[in-house]
Amino acid sequence: MRTSPPIERLVAGLKRLPGIGEKSATRLAFHLLGAPDATVRELSDAIGRLKQDTVLCEECFDLTDASPCALCRDPKRDSQAVCVVEEPADLAAIERSRRFHGRYHVLGGALSPIDGVGPGDLRIAELEERVRGGGVREVILATNPNAEGDATAHYICDRLQPSGVGLSRIAYGMPLGGDLEYADHVTIGLSLDNRQKVG
Amino acid sequence: MAGIRTEAVVLRSVDFAESDRIVHLLVPDTGRLTAIAKGARRSVRRFPGTLDLFNHLRVQLQTRRSGAMARLEQATLIESFTPLRHETRRFAIACYLLEVLDRLAPEAGARDDMRRLFRFALAALRAAATRKPDARLRVLIELRALEALGLRPELRRCVRCAAELGGAAQVDFHVADGGTLCGRCAAPLDGLLRVHVGTLRALEQGLRFDFEHLDRLVLGPVALAESRQLVGRFQRFHVGVDLRSERFLNEMLPA
Repeated sequence: MRTSPPIERLVAGLKRLPGIGEKSATRLAFHLLGAPDATVRELSDAIGRLKQDTVLCEECFDLTDASPCALCRDPKRDSQAVCVVEEPADLAAIERSRRFHGRYHVLGGALSPIDGVGPGDLRIAELEERVRGGGVREVILATNPNAEGDATAHYICDRLQPSGVGLSRIAYGMPLGGDLEYADHVTIGLSLDNRQKVG
Repeated sequence: MAGIRTEAVVLRSVDFAESDRIVHLLVPDTGRLTAIAKGARRSVRRFPGTLDLFNHLRVQLQTRRSGAMARLEQATLIESFTPLRHETRRFAIACYLLEVLDRLAPEAGARDDMRRLFRFALAALRAAATRKPDARLRVLIELRALEALGLRPELRRCVRCAAELGGAAQVDFHVADGGTLCGRCAAPLDGLLRVHVGTLRALEQGLRFDFEHLDRLVLGPVALAESRQLVGRFQRFHVGVDLRSERFLNEMLPA
């Protein structure tokens, strides 16, 4: 289908986004063409300001509009407990749980030798520096429970152990609403290993 | 569309679109194949904790026309080689092994060769998970991976004239030719690697032994250094690609 150059330009730009193919990009472009001017301007402004208004927090390396971020500035949060996550989206997921009231450290990924990602590509040295600087009682390793996340947690554990800081790993086990019949035997085994007393 | 039930080892697992995952699998009958697991990141029933690196699975696949990506319908875990995640040197060796297999395993090899390759992959993952993760294990897994992929170096005869190597303590190894050379064939060549015959015999033993008996193999410091140089140069020349996981492996198991 032949379309005008402005539509083609937008389709080409949208196609570069993850998960968006030619058809979805064309559908979005025509949707925007039919949307009110104010809606399109709002979206355009938001995209335009995204990069210039987003910075990395100098303490936890989360994405924020001001550094240090609101979480690191909050005096009510426990600055002695640091939860280590791979990505900002993981931090947001833990915040949604409302069970952790300490601070964070965003690594920027996990060890992935096959993709060429080693310790120097993550913010592990910055975490070590933070722990060496004092004032940290516990580091909670909340990297994903997959091969790369586990290996990253163990690597960090080896690096931080000499400092004497308390180290813990998020628990493994059955998900809420899960079904034992469909769970793999490793998860079931870990659920039994990490069982808790009731009553 | 044809349905297949087979065993598989996960060589690579990449998130795709909203909730899918693309996996590279090594399967016993045909070698390497790529499959898409639709909704894998959301489904707790079809793919419970399965599509992770190193996992040995039983899978159900739908294959379409030749060259098209297969569709992974279901996967159950047989073995996860858990220690590979809990020790950084084991993780480094196993990632290197997976990358070699992912880059070099054929997509439609001869059935017997592919079955041998699959058995090697499982044995090597088990060795990486249970044997001492040191430079000796690294070099032997590297060498045996090359052999399993049909790239075995000649270690006993002259690779050019097939003459038995004499009683010298050291001989020349020519990387481009893929093996040792007798004195006469070696004379006009440059870039030869001088190695002790004892190192070559140890490497031959390393190719013969089951992984369970690797502890019997003694590689002294000189033999280990020569082995690493020989296998490393042979691998780089014949594989012809830079393996991304090698940098991490060198960091975790320095020479």
